[in-house]
Amino acid sequence: MPKKVFDELRERLLQAGVAPRHVQRYLTELADHLTDTRAEEERAGRSRADAESVALSRLGSVDRLAQAMIDQRQFKSWCARAPWAMFDVAPLLLAGAYFLACMYLRCGWTIFQPGADSPFGAPVGPMYGFGNIYFQAGKLYYSSAPILVGWAIGFIAARQRLKAVWPTVALLLIAWMGATAQIHAGRTAVPRGLGHISMSFFGPGPSPHAVFGELMYAAVIFSFTVLPYLIWRLQRALSA
Amino acid sequence: MYGYEIVQAIRRRSDAAIAVGEGVVYPVLHALEHDGALRSRRKTVNGRSRVYYSITPRGSRRFADLSNAWTNLATAIQKMLTGGQYAKEGVR
Repeated sequence: MPKKVFDELRERLLQAGVAPRHVQRYLTELADHLTDTRAEEERAGRSRADAESVALSRLGSVDRLAQAMIDQRQFKSWCARAPWAMFDVAPLLLAGAYFLACMYLRCGWTIFQPGADSPFGAPVGPMYGFGNIYFQAGKLYYSSAPILVGWAIGFIAARQRLKAVWPTVALLLIAWMGATAQIHAGRTAVPRGLGHISMSFFGPGPSPHAVFGELMYAAVIFSFTVLPYLIWRLQRALSA
Repeated sequence: MYGYEIVQAIRRRSDAAIAVGEGVVYPVLHALEHDGALRSRRKTVNGRSRVYYSITPRGSRRFADLSNAWTNLATAIQKMLTGGQYAKEGVR
């Protein structure tokens, strides 16, 4: 019985935009309170079932408990207050992940390919063991970054019970950004041979064939990122 | 004090005249903490982990202000109800 009440209350609060950490704390304190009240009623001579029923009614109805928290507007999450801002800046998260990838590449270039004009060309001299693993791990991180960021967005949207439109927009942006991202690196392009790494995003490819490839790649990224969120929504729809 | 103790204290001191859904006290406590009037600390006592609340200096000042305002208002209302000087003189 209390579990059902608390589940309903949790859903009401999350759907109203109350931040999950405030919801969790509220529910924890209510559960503690219910335990104390039930113990008090049992000490007064009631059976366990009666004590629980009285304790629940003393706690208050779900409507009143939910409204009391919803009225405290300072506990609303930023995602609920400004979802357009939270999710439309999602590409910044991906840009941050790509920045780390560039730093990683720069380090590998300096350590394992110090004489090469570009880290993407044929290696200067043999590259075995750790160097090879290092660059393969970098490739894996670079390829999976949009998917990991997309999953994080889906998780936040699910946790806060947000409307599907905002995470969908964010995932589309991320998919297109991931599909069109390009790293440029060269040593001779800059004076004194220090080397230079840059990235470009969102620009369509130079030919219809390239654009088609980017669209396909964006569709793959979008499918992978949206899948867990979609499954979660379907499960909720089926259990409702 | 933790939430349950606070609710018990309210019931005891008000002779159960103030009887709201006991759970609604928590959003108020959280809001007071957010405003800096209370601070909370999770403590484990007798094997039970609970959130204990204590008043801050800012909360004490706020309480004193509200208490004064309430006392003034209650006194004024009491005077109005009992009639003040007009009750003694009689209304003609």
